Amino acid sequence: MHIPDGFVDGKTALAAGALAAAGLGVALRTLRRAFPPRRVPLIGLAAAFVFAAQMLNFPVAGGTSGHLIGAVLAAVLLGPSAAVLVMSSVLILQCFMFADGGVTALGANIFNMALVAPGVGYAVFAVVRRIAGESRRSLLLATAFASWCSTVAAAIACAGQLAVSGTVVWGVALPAMAGVHMLIGIGEAVITTLVIAAVAGVRPELLRESAPPEGRPRYAELAAYGLLVSLGLAVFVAPFASGWPDGLERVAAALGFQATAARAPLFAAPLPEYVVPGLGAAVSSTVIAGSVGTLLAFGLAYLLARLLTPPGDAARRGSPRGGAPRASAAA
Amino acid sequence: MPRGAGPRAAALLVHQLLLSPYHHRASPVHRLPAIGKVAGAVALVFTVVLLPRTAWAAYGACGAALVLIAALSRIPAHRLAKKLLLLEPFVLGVAALSLLQPDGTRVFLAMLTKSTLCLFAIVLLSSTTRFSDVLRVLWRLRVPPLLVTSLALMYRYLSLLVDEAARMHRARRSRTFSPGRVLAWRSSATVAAHLFVRSSERAERVYAAMCARGWRT
Amino acid sequence: MRPGVEDVNALEVRALHYRYPDGTLALRGVGLSVAEGERVALVGPNGAGKSTLLLHLNGLLPEHPSGAPAVHVFGTPVVEPHLAAIRAQVGLLFQDPDDQLFCPTVWEDVAFGPQQLGFKEPGLSERVARALAQVGLDGFEDRLPQHLSRGEKRRVCLAGVLACDARVLALDEPTSDLDPRGRRELKALLRSLPVAQIIATHDLELVVETCQRVIVMDDGAIVAEGPPAEVLSDERRMLEHGLEQPHILRHRHPH
Repeated sequence: MHIPDGFVDGKTALAAGALAAAGLGVALRTLRRAFPPRRVPLIGLAAAFVFAAQMLNFPVAGGTSGHLIGAVLAAVLLGPSAAVLVMSSVLILQCFMFADGGVTALGANIFNMALVAPGVGYAVFAVVRRIAGESRRSLLLATAFASWCSTVAAAIACAGQLAVSGTVVWGVALPAMAGVHMLIGIGEAVITTLVIAAVAGVRPELLRESAPPEGRPRYAELAAYGLLVSLGLAVFVAPFASGWPDGLERVAAALGFQATAARAPLFAAPLPEYVVPGLGAAVSSTVIAGSVGTLLAFGLAYLLARLLTPPGDAARRGSPRGGAPRASAAA
Repeated sequence: MPRGAGPRAAALLVHQLLLSPYHHRASPVHRLPAIGKVAGAVALVFTVVLLPRTAWAAYGACGAALVLIAALSRIPAHRLAKKLLLLEPFVLGVAALSLLQPDGTRVFLAMLTKSTLCLFAIVLLSSTTRFSDVLRVLWRLRVPPLLVTSLALMYRYLSLLVDEAARMHRARRSRTFSPGRVLAWRSSATVAAHLFVRSSERAERVYAAMCARGWRT
Repeated sequence: MRPGVEDVNALEVRALHYRYPDGTLALRGVGLSVAEGERVALVGPNGAGKSTLLLHLNGLLPEHPSGAPAVHVFGTPVVEPHLAAIRAQVGLLFQDPDDQLFCPTVWEDVAFGPQQLGFKEPGLSERVARALAQVGLDGFEDRLPQHLSRGEKRRVCLAGVLACDARVLALDEPTSDLDPRGRRELKALLRSLPVAQIIATHDLELVVETCQRVIVMDDGAIVAEGPPAEVLSDERRMLEHGLEQPHILRHRHPH
């Protein structure tokens, strides 16, 4: 999902860049305050790990293979703010040293994969955990569903950015990006969950360490991310979803940015009879398709969690107490 | 960047592109200070992106400038070409989507041209500038220390981790006799899990090493 | 070279106890001393507590100090607020040089310690160059750690602590994964450095060729101490503690 140079125009790059910088700023401030100093090197090493993990082979069919984004993996292992920094570092290195993702698109790529993905992912993870309890199975269910959601959310944001830039029309961008990533998201969910399950089997105490320190209100942090993600979605996606006049475009025209190409008509509705009063036919069908997909994904996540939970762990509360912490000495 | 390419192929690729995206030559371009090269590359990329779609003459001028710089840098042309070719397919893939709209071909060609020019600029930048110098530029520009430290540590340990992953993957494969897809996925996931555990243990030791040399947060 | 009685010992450890977080007793009342300029070896089977002991020498352990400090470096106790100065004086080299070489280039890694101590240009580069020259790695400033051999990495780590004017070197298995040439070069290097050294090692030839004294540890306590030729020739005791008599002593001719 790395957008190359030339695919987002000036105003989109600027808007996305501002949001990305703000999100990164929130993450850095939170980490400086709340992340224990002894874990600081872990961020750099986790970034190297995510980078390396993105190269692992997950064969799909006929020579193709799936790959991992890793946002939710990082968020579950390290916490949301650390995940933002980890993903941002990976994207920055990929941009400058690999030309993977454009320089002008760096803001957009960071917004999509280092803010939306871990942000939405962790929010979903936390909610599912709260509802489904503290067992191993609920951990895996939350991880799987959150991974899927994070991928799709990032894809939607990406589609919005491409459409607002006039590169790809919304009617093509949304199904191409979001539709395809609803499938890719399954791979992300399976891979992330398999890895978390393996870590939980080998070193459960590593997972508990990312839980927030007791008594610390994390609402401010989550609220900040929520705000930024919502803002971004409002700027990049809402204009297409609501049919309201494109506020950003008017601002851009007023400021003298070049006009974007004319937008093609919205995606043709396959289910024209379904019309929700107040919204257009096209929007309704998109909403329905999205909801059906989400429910399916949740179901698959549940099945996966059941499959991967060792028997007897399903109802067990929490992970084994204490574990046998390794001495930090290399004796 | 071909992700999901498999650890061994990936390790080779990473070693080629990462350990030496920087190709050392005694050239005037290499000798330029890092901040100048980064600023120049970024400026060129922004210019190309902000140009109107049909500014073909301007594209040509940028292209010529890049070719000139490439020649001055004395990096072998086939090396640069190889890197560009590796990256083009992804650009083509996304650009193809733009065809599906009225006036799509013009958009498509403009996207392709812009992206290729920008790719060229970044490939040149990474071939003539050490990443450690880029990090120093960031440090001097007062980028938050936590971000710079994370970038530095990531860069330092990346090749180590990729090597570890490749070794673990090879060890597992030599113990698997019927490589079905499910087993392959589980195997890769286990490799990833062990890689994380080892990385987090290494992070503890790196912290100890930093403290041993007087690091204060 | 034994110093006069007036001199303070480079290292003084008295009644050091340490228990791991999971309760295992790692060090049981260890006491030793290293004089200035002396080279002392620490040998013993795996799990004897050698590495744990080394981590106490610059205050990395214990994590939560309590009670009277058991370790003194040149007379200064290894507790806050002296830790910063102690860590400059005691150069600890870890078993895996990759853990210690964490900077993007050799120059930055060797400069790391001095920078933490407050050194800046123009003296900084000179300091780095001098340290690299001392370990025989002139001109390695711009090299990337990923491209170095094991032996070179170890020497860069050594340069990193020498650049801080370390007066004591604590080395954990310095020759463990070196090829014979790397071992020879490192041994020669250690012999050429005049600072006090305490070396935890399995390499008994290193002990015989380089160190003036050897301390045998087993199960968290010191079981023997003395000149290498004497201690390591006691075959029965060596085997008892999971070691063996080094070949170099077996085939020594008395002239």
